[in-house]
Amino acid sequence: MTLARSAYRTVVVGGGVIGLYTAYHLHRAGAGPILVLDRGRLSAGGSGRNGGGIRQQWETRSTIRLAREAVAAYRRFPSEFGHNVWFRQGGYLFLAESAAELDRLARVRDAARAEGLTVRLLGVPDIERLVEGIVPGACLGGSYLATDGTLYPYPVLWGLLEELRRDGVEIAYGVEATGVTRDDRGRLDGVLTSDGRRATRTVVNAAGGWAGEFSRRCGLEAPNVATRHEIFATEPMKPFVEPMVVRVSDGLYFSQSMRGELVGGRTVAHRPGTDGGVPSSARFTTSMARALVGLLPRLAGLGVLRAWAGFYDDTPDGLPLIGEDPRLPGFVHANGFGGHGFMLAPSASRRVAQAVLGETTDLDPQEFAPGRFLARGASPRSERLQLG
Amino acid sequence: MLGALARGRWPSLARSVRYHRPRGPFCGVGTCTGCLVRVNGIPNVRACRTTVHDGDAIETENAWPSPRFDVFGTLDVLFPRGLDSVHGLRRPAWAIPLYQRVTRRLAGFGRPPSRSSARTPPPPTIRSADVAIVGAGRSGRELAAALRRRGARPLVLERRPSSAVASEAETVAGVDLLGSVTVAILLSPASREREEAGAAHELLGFDDRGGGLLVRTRTVVLATGSYDAALLFEGSDRPGVVTGDLALADLGLPWGETVVFGGGERAREVVERLVDHVVAVAAPGDISPELARAAAERGIPLYPRSRLVRSVGRGHVRAVELARRDGGGHFRLGCRSVVLAHRRLPNAQLVFQAGGARRWADRPGAYYPTIDPTGRSDVPGVFAVGSVARPPEGGAPTPDQVAAAVLGAPAPTGSPPPAPGRSRTGEMIPYYRELLREPRHGKWVLCPCEDVLVDELERAVARGYRGLELGMRYTGVGTGLCQGRYCLPEAIAILAGLEGVPPPEVGVVTQRPPLVPMPLGALAALADAVAEAPGS
Repeated sequence: MTLARSAYRTVVVGGGVIGLYTAYHLHRAGAGPILVLDRGRLSAGGSGRNGGGIRQQWETRSTIRLAREAVAAYRRFPSEFGHNVWFRQGGYLFLAESAAELDRLARVRDAARAEGLTVRLLGVPDIERLVEGIVPGACLGGSYLATDGTLYPYPVLWGLLEELRRDGVEIAYGVEATGVTRDDRGRLDGVLTSDGRRATRTVVNAAGGWAGEFSRRCGLEAPNVATRHEIFATEPMKPFVEPMVVRVSDGLYFSQSMRGELVGGRTVAHRPGTDGGVPSSARFTTSMARALVGLLPRLAGLGVLRAWAGFYDDTPDGLPLIGEDPRLPGFVHANGFGGHGFMLAPSASRRVAQAVLGETTDLDPQEFAPGRFLARGASPRSERLQLG
Repeated sequence: MLGALARGRWPSLARSVRYHRPRGPFCGVGTCTGCLVRVNGIPNVRACRTTVHDGDAIETENAWPSPRFDVFGTLDVLFPRGLDSVHGLRRPAWAIPLYQRVTRRLAGFGRPPSRSSARTPPPPTIRSADVAIVGAGRSGRELAAALRRRGARPLVLERRPSSAVASEAETVAGVDLLGSVTVAILLSPASREREEAGAAHELLGFDDRGGGLLVRTRTVVLATGSYDAALLFEGSDRPGVVTGDLALADLGLPWGETVVFGGGERAREVVERLVDHVVAVAAPGDISPELARAAAERGIPLYPRSRLVRSVGRGHVRAVELARRDGGGHFRLGCRSVVLAHRRLPNAQLVFQAGGARRWADRPGAYYPTIDPTGRSDVPGVFAVGSVARPPEGGAPTPDQVAAAVLGAPAPTGSPPPAPGRSRTGEMIPYYRELLREPRHGKWVLCPCEDVLVDELERAVARGYRGLELGMRYTGVGTGLCQGRYCLPEAIAILAGLEGVPPPEVGVVTQRPPLVPMPLGALAALADAVAEAPGS
């Protein structure tokens, strides 16, 4: 693949959902010419490997706000982009097994209510109605938001890609960004790629699981850690569970896709690094199966159809990096989404585009500014409702 | 169970997942979705691979009131060229939730397992071995015998019951045979969480009662053999179109007039077996002299260099339409069965799961594992023997050579495993290029498990989603219950033709475990044993 131009106004590194949505917002703002680079294939990274969950139940109000905006965007997606993303708002049900976990969910409810979302705390009878066949004594209670849901991730990518290409935005898969160049005053003036150097003043790091690695290759120490998370899908069945079900204690989550497959994962000792390797481990598959059958014994005879893995791009405080890097003006972060990039992509990347254009965003710098890790001491806030 | 359900008729056990098209037995080896039934409250049980017991409650799936007369079959008529779920069903916007509710009701295959089916699975079988052989077919048995002669005691894992294997001639005494087990996952130490010298391979699977199976072994030899490929044509998913594997499986099906498609040894075997029924032999290329002789003795007409264009019939096959590839016209042959025996593909998925490199072979147009002349793959400690290792003309290593290598004989010098193939062709590519120029009157179902039409793959390519990985995601081809074993080889040939590139450039799909759907209960029962092992 050969790049068309020698210079671009903005180069977006990463052609996943964050990169494509960022390019979309930039293009709408007239900030071309834009180049999107990706070293792999479309949907080869996290955007093509996630379970499609879209939720608005979070501990931090800013994240709830972003998620709420994202839900509205995904509802509009079929008419805006001509692609049916099967965004099914079947709700998200969090299960608590202890009083402490219930308290935590109550705080989530309060935060969501303050943002205008009616999260409800449910008792066991309500939960038994939502999850038919759940084992007695599985939980003490839970929280539920009916407008959360799941979507089919690929058509989101196809819709964005086709829209951008129709409008002449250059998107190059199979071209790797390997670093940035600086002029003699130390300012960013180009990006190095597997197809040579291209001049630009702005580089957006939306490289997902590879974002930390890319920052470091550009000489910027980064807090991002990539971890490998696994997931599996069962044989398709007629619908029997409406919401995405998430257990707080061990991060077990599952939902039933539009095709009828039960898709889910669970927190295990996630292996760091982004080496491809073989996708699945016996430890995950067997412990996930045990957790699922433990919760829903009737599923014992159902077959697991396939298992795979993807990468979370984690940060120490569980919040993403959105905005310009104070050490290198022109280098804009859109990463650190901790496995929840798809949930926040439409709204978070709008802020990324604003940062590229030098506009101020409504984001609290204490929560999202990439420079927050440069100061000594822990971040003042954190988002710990990252599961799976 | 399939034989019991057939009782002299072609059983009709389910309708297809999207368009509710009739489905019948197809593969006979427990891979396809043609004979799925619900047994004792558990969905998607393969009747061809299940022993029937007194008192079993067997129900049909995904049809109402019955698979023969299914109300939802109207979907097939309403959408004659298929339904575009990516671009369709989104207008008007307010109706989307309604479309979703209806689609969701219709999606899926069987009903969820009944609550009464939730029993504690039997305790798992956990074994250790120095050498484990997967498959007790001819090659597996011969290798076991060769190992026995050298004083080793291999563990042989086999899907069929031990009694079925014991009745075969070359069965050897002193071999540790574990029957009625299915191996679904192979994890090699190199592919596991931590790499350790000398660590064991793990084979995960299940037995016929739903119990888990875990085998830790220093060396794995795959003797998993090969299978008869599917073929795409109009109505290739119609009941009565079957593979040679099913024809040779002795399930007591009422064959009726049979057209055999294939020109080689496999087709000859089918002709010998179904001799009273065969009315014609057609082949995509030439017909071998042996097959021609066998057919001539019985007065069976031959149609070499032909392509299968469509099957005809309401429900079951009543006729097939063929075309001469050298320019002759179309012609019809009345028949009740069509047996596909034109090419055999290796059951090599476990090697690929373990991270083994693939090697393209022009004939039969498929990926083989990278195997050296002593049966070693490029994954340390993983070997292959028999037809899974090499195509028929590829000179597969003999069981004696493999046995010596397994027991530590050094690899022959100067012959490292051949590098992954850089081949330019595949015999099915021109075949499908010609075929896809035929006018289409009905659905051309490329992937019968998920009802994916070849038109969808063509659309993906036209929209710029090239290669097998993107094609799979765009259409869903290869994501069904057979794990793509029947559709992906055809999809590779079709894509190579559409994109005008050699097959290796179409790419491959990562082998996502398990090889066959593995019951959650069996997996769950292995959790403790797996967690004990370092590095698993």
